[in-house]
Amino acid sequence: MYDRGWSDGLPLVAPTRERVLRMLEGTSRSGDEIVALMPPNLVECTVEKVAVNAVMAGCRPEYLPVVLASLEAICSDEFNMHGILATTMGVGPVLVVNGPIATQIGMNSGVNVLGQGNRANATIGRAVQLVVRNVGGGAPGGIDRATHGSMSKLGFCFAEDEVGSPWTTLAEDRGFDRSQGVVTAFCGEGPRILLDQQSRSAESLIRMLAEGLLASVSPRTVMAMDGLLVLSPEHMARFSDAGWDRPRFMEELGKLLLVETDTILAGAGGIDEGLPEGLGGLTLPKFRPGGLLVVHAGGPAGLFSAIIGGWVNGPMGSEPTSREIIR
Amino acid sequence: MHDIDDLERRGLVGVFVASEPFSEAAETQAGALGLDVARVFVAHPIQDRTDDEMRSLADEALDALTRALTSTPAVTQ
Amino acid sequence: MTEPVTVLDPTAEAIPTQRSLNPRPSGLHGLTVGLLDISKPRGDVFLDRIEEGLTAQGAKVRRYAKPTFTKPAPVDLRHEIAAQCDAVIEALAD
Repeated sequence: MYDRGWSDGLPLVAPTRERVLRMLEGTSRSGDEIVALMPPNLVECTVEKVAVNAVMAGCRPEYLPVVLASLEAICSDEFNMHGILATTMGVGPVLVVNGPIATQIGMNSGVNVLGQGNRANATIGRAVQLVVRNVGGGAPGGIDRATHGSMSKLGFCFAEDEVGSPWTTLAEDRGFDRSQGVVTAFCGEGPRILLDQQSRSAESLIRMLAEGLLASVSPRTVMAMDGLLVLSPEHMARFSDAGWDRPRFMEELGKLLLVETDTILAGAGGIDEGLPEGLGGLTLPKFRPGGLLVVHAGGPAGLFSAIIGGWVNGPMGSEPTSREIIR
Repeated sequence: MHDIDDLERRGLVGVFVASEPFSEAAETQAGALGLDVARVFVAHPIQDRTDDEMRSLADEALDALTRALTSTPAVTQ
Repeated sequence: MTEPVTVLDPTAEAIPTQRSLNPRPSGLHGLTVGLLDISKPRGDVFLDRIEEGLTAQGAKVRRYAKPTFTKPAPVDLRHEIAAQCDAVIEALAD
């Protein structure tokens, strides 16, 4: 199977007819139903083709609805998987799962949430990428020209810790009900750790988070790239203990994420990269309105959060996209 | 590539210009489209070039572009 | 001896119909050439120069721009180019 070009580099589970039929039992949708037009070749992708790749990735049948919803999200015009494949930036779909389905299928939202060891997290993201590769034709060396790539091109999927969060969930923030299963696709890189082990107040920690976020992708980008912040439970406690809810947190953070454009103009500080001179003298937000997503996940101990930098946002690039998970 | 493929379907003659590191991607895409889309490659990089350097690249590419649109196009690597 | 395992094909199994390029005209003199800017930085400078060269060959040039280099051109734009031009040059992907 590796020699046929079907693999992402890791061994695959052989997609026998029996295994694919068993996989299809994970959804009420018909095998010949079209899920999406799969980039880059823009070919029709059926539920059955998704099931074949899900078997190869190592998914259990109950994960299939999450894989299908993820593919619907990334193949939408607004998410723009086509452009994400072709860009040299090492970004890919980062999939955040909300709703009861996450715990029902055993997804990890706790210890080592962005790491290895959980079958659902690891194989759902992998299955999505195998479909892009095998059905869409998007493989590195061919259409995929990423300079470095990142784990989000291998498969990057996790669940939000909703039970342990005092806040509304990411999906609720995006207009869904807490009872719905929802996957949100964000175009991003791998996670980077933001360390703050000394802040004891919300006022201190939020300043530290802002400093870290200002460097997301590049300290010289403003409004052009989105971000995803994964707050750990211990960092979250600083805010919930102070009585901050999600809107308060976003408001306070927004005030600290303002950039004087004079400091990031081309040539400023002896660096050629930067904004054109005509944009000098302004104060602009690091992230466009709605351009910073915040989720709560991670193990109970550890005064770290994680920042996942994005890519060109909006109609020019990629829009974070949510889809309901239909079983 | 998708754009030129579509415009050829609509009866135009077309050619696509990219920088050299994208020749392999273009070849893969042409294979998938089923049309050996005419393409011309210029030297990489592009983003840090001066205007004069960009004009030189255009001067060097003009002949290949004209040939791609007017004769049996040379198949580029 | 183990039994051979039959696996299902995970690919699109779509073999595209091989098509040929449209017949090329003998020259560009008198023809309308569309220059389609994919809207990546620097492409406009390149195309400005190409426009000068094509005009010198007696071609009529029309300029177009995609809203973003990251997606195929919208269908309306492709329709407009097809209606107004004989030839098209798309640039500059890097």
